[in-house]
Amino acid sequence: MSITSEQNEAAASAFLEQAEERFGGSGVTVSIEHHSNAVKFAFVRMTCPPQHWIALAKWMRFDAGINYCSMITGTHYPEGGTRTWGVAYHFLRQPVRDVEPFTSDVLKAESLEGMDIPLEIEVLIDLPDGREPTVPSVQSIWIGADWNEKETWDLVGIQFEGHENMHRVLNPHDSPDGFHPLQKQHQIRYHDYNEMYDDAQGFVRKPADEGRVK
Amino acid sequence: MWITMGPQHPMTHGLWTLRVKVDGETVVDTEAELGYIHRGVEKIAEARDFTQVTPYCDRLCYVSAMTWANSYIYAAEDLLEVDVPERAEYIRLISAEIQRLASHLMWLGAFGPDIGNLTLMTWCMRDREMFLDLLQELGGSRMHYNYPRIGGVKRDLPVGFADRARAKVKLFEQRIKEYEMMLDESTIWLVRLQGVGYSRAEDMVNSGVSGPNVRAAGVNYDVRWAHPYSVYDQVDWEPAVEKPTSVKGADCYDRYRVRMEEMVQSCKMVLDALDKIPGGANTHYSTGDEMILTKAPTRAPEGATGFSNYECTRGASQFYIQGGGDGRGKNPYRLSIRSPMFITIPYVAKTMIGYKVADIPAIMGSFDPCIGETDR
Repeated sequence: MSITSEQNEAAASAFLEQAEERFGGSGVTVSIEHHSNAVKFAFVRMTCPPQHWIALAKWMRFDAGINYCSMITGTHYPEGGTRTWGVAYHFLRQPVRDVEPFTSDVLKAESLEGMDIPLEIEVLIDLPDGREPTVPSVQSIWIGADWNEKETWDLVGIQFEGHENMHRVLNPHDSPDGFHPLQKQHQIRYHDYNEMYDDAQGFVRKPADEGRVK
Repeated sequence: MWITMGPQHPMTHGLWTLRVKVDGETVVDTEAELGYIHRGVEKIAEARDFTQVTPYCDRLCYVSAMTWANSYIYAAEDLLEVDVPERAEYIRLISAEIQRLASHLMWLGAFGPDIGNLTLMTWCMRDREMFLDLLQELGGSRMHYNYPRIGGVKRDLPVGFADRARAKVKLFEQRIKEYEMMLDESTIWLVRLQGVGYSRAEDMVNSGVSGPNVRAAGVNYDVRWAHPYSVYDQVDWEPAVEKPTSVKGADCYDRYRVRMEEMVQSCKMVLDALDKIPGGANTHYSTGDEMILTKAPTRAPEGATGFSNYECTRGASQFYIQGGGDGRGKNPYRLSIRSPMFITIPYVAKTMIGYKVADIPAIMGSFDPCIGETDR
């Protein structure tokens, strides 16, 4: 009825082999991970240095059949460590073909094999410290990446090099330059936040009340 | 000449603007403007516990709150490594499919007046009320249920829920036939929908469109089938699929047909799940029973991530959560939401090019836009 874990596992390891053969030794790492909720499905996690991203993306799209760019997530890590910015891409492989008129392509899960098995890919790109984090745009490879990249720039401030027609999508169009609300310097917990929300009626003493009779 | 449709326009089904460049009556260019009701859910979530995020996810889409909350819950369970009892998974499946019925009815009810069929609105609202009543029994309110929990669901099925659900679903299975009799032979309906708004399957997938809109183009790809998450592999159903009539792909009529077929499948799933649910549908357990809820950790370590790919009523909704936020991992460090409609609306705006201005409501409505989830 639905895709089994064995099929999923086989597709993931086939993808892993191909990717390692093509990109082994270039700094691209590939591993098979499993979701840890009820259905422990396998997915492929890749990390990629930004300079190889376009080559990897083209290979994924045109040789490995990854035809669906579903989500792009930018993250800001201001406390440092090995990275200051991260971009996570989520891709899916969907066995979708155009059909002849008056027919439908009813896929049977048990008869799917090879590149037709749906697969989930996660690509992580860590960016070095810098005022303007930049990754190459994949807008021309997956059209679906277009508005995802716009959103990621708008909210997080990741620059997508080569992205055409970049503009604000969720924030107002006249937002100030450099305002990207999901960067961590924009605090959502301002001072007295806890008192406001956790103790709205003010039953609990506040530090400012120390020594006073309430 | 540029025409601005929206943000207050019957075509938009919400607050957004479609700017249309016209040459006479023909659309030659379009531009979508979103963001009118951007609430910053992703930022708010960074200051909330994992359990406190669920009500915000309910409010992402007021038409299908249950599926959005479920979608978040599966990502949180991936992050926190929780195994869910099977009974709870069945209850989630039942609640999500009832929500899908209610959501598709809301879509059809809003689509009818777009096309010029006002009767449809009243009929759909009448039937949607039955399913909202069922969801109210579970979650306590008509729209925002806050029903699924990390590790299970809030409450068990109430006494008599199964009987009422069966009766309503069986009644609705008959009513679908009434709808089909009214619509499939209505000249206005066919003339407005057939041959309008073509879109090809491969184009849609490359553009990030998902769900019923792609299934209308003749491919039965469905997340519930391709990446099964709940107990969808145990109940009896087939992904709905439509046969497009042109090499140009699916038209508005195909998208209407595929949603009707999905409603039939959802009815089938609810009935089957009520029969197969472990422990029986009419047994009542107390709150906090281990049959419906397991304990879940409240903190996620740094570096842990959770991802869910969920078939919402409008397509694949996805959540990506990174652990290790404030309070030693009590809050998400970064919560990212992928809304199917955010990707679909710009695509639909481009498919309108070449059609007449009068076709815009039909094309837009057939893709089922929801602005709550689009703007987040």
